[in-house]
Amino acid sequence: MEPLTESQVIENLRQTEDPSAQYYAAWWLGKMRSQHPDAIPLLLATLGALDDSPVDPDRRGVALNAIRAMGLLKDERTDGALLDRLHSNDYSVREEAARSLGTMGSHAAAEAIRSLLASGLDGAGREQPSTPLLQEPCEALLEALGDIGINDAATLATIKPFTRHHRPLICSAACRALLQLTGDSCWGEQLTQLLLHPEALVRRGALLDLGAAGWTAAVPMIQAAAVEPSLKLVALRGIAENSGNQQVLDVMDALL
Amino acid sequence: MTSSALKDAIRALDRATSTPDLVEATRALCALGDPEAAGTLVKVLGFNNPAVAGVATQGLIQLGRDIVPTLLVSLDARNYGARAWVVKVLSALRDPRGLDLLEHALNADIAPSVRRSATRGLADLEIDPSLKDQQLQRCMQGLLKAGHDDEWVVRYAAAFGLEQRLRTTTVDPSIADQAVAMLQNLASDAEDARVVRHRAVLALQRLNLE
Repeated sequence: MEPLTESQVIENLRQTEDPSAQYYAAWWLGKMRSQHPDAIPLLLATLGALDDSPVDPDRRGVALNAIRAMGLLKDERTDGALLDRLHSNDYSVREEAARSLGTMGSHAAAEAIRSLLASGLDGAGREQPSTPLLQEPCEALLEALGDIGINDAATLATIKPFTRHHRPLICSAACRALLQLTGDSCWGEQLTQLLLHPEALVRRGALLDLGAAGWTAAVPMIQAAAVEPSLKLVALRGIAENSGNQQVLDVMDALL
Repeated sequence: MTSSALKDAIRALDRATSTPDLVEATRALCALGDPEAAGTLVKVLGFNNPAVAGVATQGLIQLGRDIVPTLLVSLDARNYGARAWVVKVLSALRDPRGLDLLEHALNADIAPSVRRSATRGLADLEIDPSLKDQQLQRCMQGLLKAGHDDEWVVRYAAAFGLEQRLRTTTVDPSIADQAVAMLQNLASDAEDARVVRHRAVLALQRLNLE
């Protein structure tokens, strides 16, 4: 099969008969960091489907991919739409909007994200009855605050309670954000404890969080963790790019 | 002939359910140093349990080249995690009999972790002296191909591998030129991943080409 050209992908997103072609097109534009002049307006147009009643599940999928693509394209024309979607009544839409705003480092989003977390462990962090979800997409919201990088007292006070959440992956996200924002090694040490957790899923999450925070002191623990080399390499990439430390490359070489 | 110690160790592994028990049973199996254990250890690589797979991988590497024929018929088409570990073992053993498999894994496997391990293998594979030119040529072509891979980690492995080959082996000048050009490309702005650029710059420095 011939790979699609950018103009074909744009036309696939423009048409509305075939949502699966739109779904792929929205993903492609983000993945390829498309600079096509129609890309942003067309991605924004897909979000309208989220306001339909009832929401069409296929068009919702397209919109979620469009939100992810906006995070990768980092275009200020999408700021307003993504901020609005933080208040969506759809959990996944809030989650993806927060992730994208975090990736974009959107300072304008910090206050809205903080307010979603402000109700703390008993509010945002409480489990929804009979689903695996919490009231708010806490992991994405916490990570976004770390990525946005505003380290004022209000932000730190919002994040700190979540380091004691009963779910280890939420603790991990909170520690990651605090490590990014303060550089205080106590949060890194709490993350390295999670590298010893009996569940592989938790170890993998903590490993990637250590990498995202770029904490060089974690390199020996990452090297020794009982996690797949492929994830160790992703984590070490974050640290190598953050620190420019050549010894990190030597560790990566040994894991190939 | 399967020894009774091996039978006992395999039975203990079959009974283990928790991760600590699986790790202990896998360690015991490795400690026998019995090449007959290779097939069972390869099965352990398919459990999607990195703690256990790490132990089994080290055990397989320690069994040495006797187990290469077992590894060559052990790729699980449905489990890329397991394939990545098997290719890692094969790469670490550096046995020239692995060349076909490594080449094929790099060319055809959908999993980046498998292509990465295969690239590593092509960087380190011991060359059979009687077939030196032909085998070295194939390793170099594989490494050049890896430099064009879509995934950053495979291109990273290519930068590592090209440095390795250019530093340790005498390569035909025309292919050495291509290898240097690839490293220069990976070190340039044409490369998206900063860590790949760093690694390629380091390779060029170590080769005194920068």
